[in-house]
Amino acid sequence: MSLKIVHLLPELLGTYGDQGNVEILSWRLRKRGIDHEILVVHSQDKVPTNGDLYLLGGGEDDAQIAAVNILNRGGSLRKAHNNGAHFFAVCAGFQLLGASFPASGGRTIEGLGILPVETIAASPRSVGELISTPTIDITTLTGFENHGGQTRLLEDVQALGNVTHGVGNGLESKIDGVVTDQIVATYMHGPAFARNPELADWILARKVGVLNQIDAPIFTQLHDERIKNAR
Amino acid sequence: MLLSFATALGKFGGFLSRLTKRGSGVMVSGRIILKIVPHAVSKLSQGKSVVLISGTNGKSTTTALIYKSLSTKKPTVSNYTGANLFAGIATALIDNRKAEFAALEVDEMVLPWAIQQTQPKVIVLLNLGRDQLDRLSEVRVVAAKWKSALATLSPACKVLADADDPFVTWAARDLVNVIWFTSGTTGHMDASTCPECGVVLNWSADKSTYSCECGFRKPSPEWILRENVLTGPNNQKASIVSAIPGKAALSNAARAVITASLFGVSLADSSAVISKVSSVDGRFGLLKISLTNFRLLLSKNPASWRETLATSASGPQSLLLVVNAQTQDGKDTSWLWDVDFSPLKGRTVFVTGDRRLDVSARLTVAEIDHQITENESSAAKIIGNNDADLIASYTAFHRLAKGVKR
Ligand SMILES: [Zn+2]
Repeated sequence: MSLKIVHLLPELLGTYGDQGNVEILSWRLRKRGIDHEILVVHSQDKVPTNGDLYLLGGGEDDAQIAAVNILNRGGSLRKAHNNGAHFFAVCAGFQLLGASFPASGGRTIEGLGILPVETIAASPRSVGELISTPTIDITTLTGFENHGGQTRLLEDVQALGNVTHGVGNGLESKIDGVVTDQIVATYMHGPAFARNPELADWILARKVGVLNQIDAPIFTQLHDERIKNAR
Repeated sequence: MLLSFATALGKFGGFLSRLTKRGSGVMVSGRIILKIVPHAVSKLSQGKSVVLISGTNGKSTTTALIYKSLSTKKPTVSNYTGANLFAGIATALIDNRKAEFAALEVDEMVLPWAIQQTQPKVIVLLNLGRDQLDRLSEVRVVAAKWKSALATLSPACKVLADADDPFVTWAARDLVNVIWFTSGTTGHMDASTCPECGVVLNWSADKSTYSCECGFRKPSPEWILRENVLTGPNNQKASIVSAIPGKAALSNAARAVITASLFGVSLADSSAVISKVSSVDGRFGLLKISLTNFRLLLSKNPASWRETLATSASGPQSLLLVVNAQTQDGKDTSWLWDVDFSPLKGRTVFVTGDRRLDVSARLTVAEIDHQITENESSAAKIIGNNDADLIASYTAFHRLAKGVKR
């Protein structure tokens, strides 16, 4: 059975290179000969509810609101979640999975309510290198963050990492992102999978089982260099 | 009186700066003048016919081409070497106080100030796109600043605006004296939502036009560039020849021809002058490192990388990419993943610069063979006695452009 990866709304949620994550996943699966398909969902398309792994990236205000409206149609993304799909969500994509997020003019926009988090406006913007010690069994995480909102956990959910450099979820929490049985969310773009090959494989392994190693030292070199130079 | 004194002092400061080899002197002169007379630019522009050129990409080239065209008619001053902030503009204006025309390149965020100070005769709005998101604003924030600044324009001022770009269109759509231009550019990387109302923008299947349910839509252009033929109102026609390669350069040449016509330069005269300009401020200049003849190309953001890769496709077999992420380049390299590098397939690609590992990871996933080198010289050692393209991000480009033969 082919793994169905759904790339959601690249034209709306693709401001910070996050589409790279889709390309990288596909490349990592290809190197291992694992059968998969990439389904790109544009704003006029129907959102499939039978995907295995959904990817959401970062985006600007208006685009984020447009995206949440599209993903809400017929409750499709929530249905996908109920069907057992996994999610990887970055920045605006992370925020819109929660209860609410801020927009220009002091507005509060209702999110999809799939994740028990809420995001509020914060100033100044959080911009720069983001490093955290993961709560899952992989090496240090590195990314570049650029967001105006800061995110509060509404229930006792697991953070993705404990922040050692940068802001992450903010509100003095010193954590970044969220991990649940089905969702990994983060403020790291960069994109995240280029700098964190172990995170990419950890997410894939939850869906396809044990993965063999890939001989591609460049990603580890990039990972190590970014961590060394951010400090 | 004070202005003359400030100008003299500024020129002297610039002279000292050059003498002590501390800089080109451009910024020094302007800073001194603005320190003494804060409204110097307003005073210095009086009696001059000013054209302001702004946009994310193509400012320097378009400004240089307009400068060359206007110079065929009257003494003209310009800052086309890229000093496009307050001081750079002031310095350009004191270069020749008797000049009747001024062609001024203006940073996107400085445009409102420049409009207010110079009371321009013409404004050329090129495009607006994503650029160094870690320190500059979102595209629509810049567009909104333009829109409110343009609303203060004297109705006598003409605005040449790009109808292909939804952000430019939105900023200029309420103006009386707007002249719409199209070069058939399709799509826009950052315009997925309507600048007016925020809902998803409808693009035609071929991405040549856009419209929205709120009434926002692509205006019908008066000046049209198709291939290299420019047609305008009253059956005006010119054939545009650009010695600078690439589609963007051709569009910029067309804009320069249109602009010059608003200053009384005939289409034929300006196109003839423009056809001879082959390099602007090091762009497309030749740089010899060891035995290799590099052609120097600048790329600053996803839109300009896309353009540069397309232009380079007809270039030599070997290619060196130099990517830094210093403050002026933008510290975030995530845009690398928004650029389609597949045009590089089959070429001999070398990668260097501070962020060569980011580039290498990107090319690896795109399945493009490449080699990382320590610096430009080590790449040149491998390329040897051959031609090669060198595409560099901002800081690397400006360091290397100093070595270009002029
Ligand atoms: Zn609209």
